[in-house]
Amino acid sequence: MHSVLQRANSILAYALSVLACLTFACFVSTVFLDYVTDANINTVKVVVKNVPDYSASREKNDLGFLTFDLQTDLTHLFNWNVKQLFLYLTAEYETSNNELNQVSKGNGCALGQDHIESANKNITLTLSWNIIPNAGLLPNIFASGSHSFQFPVEYTTSRM
Amino acid sequence: MDFLNSIPTHMDFEGQARAEKLSRIIITLFGAVGLIWGYIIQQFSQTVYILGAGFVLAALITIPPWPMYRRKPLNWQPAKNGNDNQTKDGAKKGKKK
Repeated sequence: MHSVLQRANSILAYALSVLACLTFACFVSTVFLDYVTDANINTVKVVVKNVPDYSASREKNDLGFLTFDLQTDLTHLFNWNVKQLFLYLTAEYETSNNELNQVSKGNGCALGQDHIESANKNITLTLSWNIIPNAGLLPNIFASGSHSFQFPVEYTTSRM
Repeated sequence: MDFLNSIPTHMDFEGQARAEKLSRIIITLFGAVGLIWGYIIQQFSQTVYILGAGFVLAALITIPPWPMYRRKPLNWQPAKNGNDNQTKDGAKKGKKK
């Protein structure tokens, strides 16, 4: 501690150690919290079209369009260890090939647009989110509450 | 240049100990206060800012060799004039002290 540089080094190292301890305290204070909450999902308009998908090939595929309402209150999920939430909606359905198929849409989507085989009857929409923390785990939370609906049997040809 | 050299830049032993102790106390205190305040308002960034303020304060108070760290200067043994034998004795006495 006899020179300016030594003292500066010493207090910088100590301050960083304290910062690490504080971050760990922040992580411990939130690691056991329950982040599950309710979400109300409703579909307004559900149609199936048979259109070419130019992003994959020029063949015609079934394309399901759906407009949905989503009502949920996520404000109480935020605390000092939550920077942001990454929300996404998942459509789950069963086909003859696979028992469980999942299609996800990222956040900020108001109009979902998913490839869905028209053969299936029951599609379940669920809301999930990732919590992006300051420090600690990156949990994947599923909201309680889902909505099941069916796609119509006939194609819609007119514009929406 | 003489003026610059005349500025004392050292700390004495007691001063170094005081400076280190003081810096530890300041940073720990600001860290604890920051943790409590950040938890109350649920903003971890505030905790980090308060700790940063503590670091700056500790740096200002304990890094420059302020005069308050120079209050107990070491009293050196007076230099002795004589042959080698006597000088060795003087060095031994100095070590003991």
